[in-house]
Amino acid sequence: MREKDATVTVIIDNQSYRVPRGYTILQAAERFDIYIPTLCSHKDLSPFGGCRLCIVEVEGMRNFPTACTTPVEEGMIIRTHTAQVQSVRKEILQLFLSEHTSSCLICDEREECKRYLGTIRKAGVTTGCRYCPKDGQCELQEVVEKLGIQEIEYPIYYRNLRVEKEDPFYDRDYNLCILCGRCVRMCQEVRLANVLAFKQRGRNTIVGPAYARTHLESGCEFCGACVSVCPTGTLYEKARKWEGVAQLEQVTTCSFCGVGCQISLQIKADRVIGGLPAEDPLVNNGQLCVKGRFCIPELVNGPWRLRHPFKKFNGLEVDISWEDAITLAAEQLSRCAPDEFGLLISSNCTTEDLYIAQKFARVAMGSNQVDSPARLFYGPALNAYLALLEKSVPLAEVREAPAILCVGLDTRYGRSVVGVELRRAMHRGARVITIHPREHNLALTAHAWIQPPPGGEGEILQFFARFTAGEESASPPETNLSSETLRQLARELKQASGVVILVGSEVLHYSASPQILAVLHRLAENLGAGVLPLPAQNNFVGSLLMGTYPELLPGGFSSANEKRLKELEKVWQTEFRPLTNGWNSGNLSAGKPLKVLYLIGEALPSGEPPAEFLIFQNIYPPDSPIRPDLTLPAAAFTEADGTFVNGEGRVQRVHRAVNPPGEALPDWEILCRIARKMGVRGFDFSDVREIHREIAALVDGFQDFDQPPRQARSLTIEGKFQIAASGSFEAKPDGKKYPYLLNAAPLEHVYRGFPLSSRVEGARVIFADEVLHMNPRDARRARLQEGDPVEVTSQYFRKVWPVKFSPELNRGIVQVTVLQNELIGLNPIPVIIRKSHV
Amino acid sequence: MKSHEYDKIFSKFTGVEGDLIPLLIQIQERDGYISPEAIRRVARFLKISENQIYGVATFYPKFRFEEPGKKTIKVCMGTACHVRGGKFLAEAVGWHFGISIGQKTPDNRLDFQRATCLGCCTLGPVVQIDEKIHPRMMVTQLMQMLREHE
Repeated sequence: MREKDATVTVIIDNQSYRVPRGYTILQAAERFDIYIPTLCSHKDLSPFGGCRLCIVEVEGMRNFPTACTTPVEEGMIIRTHTAQVQSVRKEILQLFLSEHTSSCLICDEREECKRYLGTIRKAGVTTGCRYCPKDGQCELQEVVEKLGIQEIEYPIYYRNLRVEKEDPFYDRDYNLCILCGRCVRMCQEVRLANVLAFKQRGRNTIVGPAYARTHLESGCEFCGACVSVCPTGTLYEKARKWEGVAQLEQVTTCSFCGVGCQISLQIKADRVIGGLPAEDPLVNNGQLCVKGRFCIPELVNGPWRLRHPFKKFNGLEVDISWEDAITLAAEQLSRCAPDEFGLLISSNCTTEDLYIAQKFARVAMGSNQVDSPARLFYGPALNAYLALLEKSVPLAEVREAPAILCVGLDTRYGRSVVGVELRRAMHRGARVITIHPREHNLALTAHAWIQPPPGGEGEILQFFARFTAGEESASPPETNLSSETLRQLARELKQASGVVILVGSEVLHYSASPQILAVLHRLAENLGAGVLPLPAQNNFVGSLLMGTYPELLPGGFSSANEKRLKELEKVWQTEFRPLTNGWNSGNLSAGKPLKVLYLIGEALPSGEPPAEFLIFQNIYPPDSPIRPDLTLPAAAFTEADGTFVNGEGRVQRVHRAVNPPGEALPDWEILCRIARKMGVRGFDFSDVREIHREIAALVDGFQDFDQPPRQARSLTIEGKFQIAASGSFEAKPDGKKYPYLLNAAPLEHVYRGFPLSSRVEGARVIFADEVLHMNPRDARRARLQEGDPVEVTSQYFRKVWPVKFSPELNRGIVQVTVLQNELIGLNPIPVIIRKSHV
Repeated sequence: MKSHEYDKIFSKFTGVEGDLIPLLIQIQERDGYISPEAIRRVARFLKISENQIYGVATFYPKFRFEEPGKKTIKVCMGTACHVRGGKFLAEAVGWHFGISIGQKTPDNRLDFQRATCLGCCTLGPVVQIDEKIHPRMMVTQLMQMLREHE
């Protein structure tokens, strides 16, 4: 009986079907492969009934109901393709086409054109008749073919709208728009971003943000979800415009931040032409951020990719064979004492690369001088940050938490997947509190936005921590909210059970960050809350587990742990003597002068080359003027197999989607070849599986390479990291003499040492690096125009940056993003700002 | 409108989504139009994006997004007035000032709108200048009146 209730019997085109109750006619038809044309419906979106093409005949119903909005009922008799329905559909479609530049849809020569591309060769793609980038993937085209439209009986109404090309990543040609509303629903229902809306009405209706604002100005996250669902050529990716249809897809893990989204790479002719979100309920749930959606093809297909090894010879760079390159590297490394060798490896590399790198240093070189410069990103706050990672909970907890506290988190460009989860949480009624000095994309919708001055987050957290520890008389600091409101918020946090605290990157770079994070830790303990630290590097946790740090051994053990060292000696069949001289990537000159510095996926340190012989292994040549002595071409994450460990501790697969360019090789393979050349045992790996097996024997949580369990695990590591003291800043500079407060943060969107903005055109627009952000009113008072060079002087430094107006900053505060290897020092720091006269 | 005046309007509402249209109506009654600043403030008050508010507001022709001119002239284009030549009156105003319906003079003095019935069809064609309705209008009469108003 119950079984019967859950389903209904309907008759579609004279055939009886059992369909779950609550399905719409369209869903029922799709389930049994009955074609009903439609343009506005989409599986992820609510029914809309806008295009009217899915009309069907239902016995006993007046007119023709739309299949996408009509739920099935017991005994319904539905006809999908009667002559009358088809003729009405054709009529409706012609009305669409009368507003759509449609020569490619109804042209007499379209068949020949498709086959021979006759027009394109003569007239070029922009003027030929197949000028729409969506040709071959257009849903409108498909419906026209299915319904067999030959001509349009209505007069052509061309709207003659300007093609909007001013925004990065995608172009918009609303002359092609059929107002199906998919992009609007995507933006409003799924992403909950509310950037797109229908404007005006009737035949003036157009999709876009408020007024004539660009997407950049109106808070768009550039997640590209609207582009993915557009059935016509209205929205189109700039970088992928004439690439056509993908031939293959490969699901892999994104490598741009610690969230670890599953991404479906679009492949054509052994090239990655795009990235789409993969349906994966564990992490990103079908969502992506701008980096994963748009930045991959331009990054991995750049024309300057390294294709061959080359060496410096008499001041010139000469191509050499792999054999010679390996021999040269082995020669140089063999004459190098353990403390004259240094290896830096990026935490963007796969876990297997990281493992081999530290094994190479420890076994082949007998040295402990291996490091991952990710530590510089966290700076003095590293140990406090690791303590938070040990308390990390899976992202899924955000979906159930009754209250969520975000600290220094802006989810507009990076981690916008988390932003979607947060907005969903707000919709289901969770309290979201955000602490951030700048107006960011959670500010509008969060229940409370506490706005401290930069660096003042600690005082608010301190108040929360004291209040929740029972000290209800604690007095709250002065912020934009009244003390009563702050007390109320603290009370709410205290009463809620299962609070989650999200930590963004914008709270990690203050001089006071170690203390801020420690208070955060205490608050989390008071509340019994889970913490999601959301690291910026995709395999930061992997690098900790693999022990690519002087302080750590594989498995998160301290390098001073004698027992572990004995075990490793047995497994690696070597004698191990750790050096504890304080050498690390922030302090390369701590030990003896280096003979060889081996950089894997890392940018060159600025200034003088820190070693006699530099080996540079990466996907692009270095940006700096220093030329390495030996350059080795490596594979990008789309070109190698392996695993990444995301911020939640999930071990996730990376798949080789395409072949590396030229002779480039995966990092582990290069290292193994050099080690073999040096005559070291233990590097006879023929593929990544074998390396993974060795890791699995040493480190918990690693098991099957082909089907990693993908379980979230919080990190456990032993010991503390050595942190270089920032030292010389004792006196706080005078606020009167230095009226502005400069907040500097290191670059976050880096792949293998290269900022995305240096390789991806759109990223240059959204990530304004080395640019001074300033409130427009302050700037006008200082008589500055946008783009003017500005001299920023503090007690300790003088810098010149171009100025950019950012109304989201408070007055009196300026902000800048600097390259990672620049020393930030005291932060935030009072400064003077003056127009620079060059 | 000043900050405290917004606050005064907002104090009458609870801040739920359904408040949007009544809020916009009150703002328009006060300012004569919906300014970008007003949309920004409403967005923060209701926690809805500015884009969504603009989308909803532009659906209704009642809402205006540009500051109106000091004097408003409305020519009725309802059925009765249209039959009696309302269209010629509108053309005359357009010619005289060099603007079309929905625009205002560059000096911001006159705002030219159409009306779709002012409820006095027996008096048509009618023209409304500010609050006053002028019945049985003729082009010559209207031109003279406009010259007087200038």
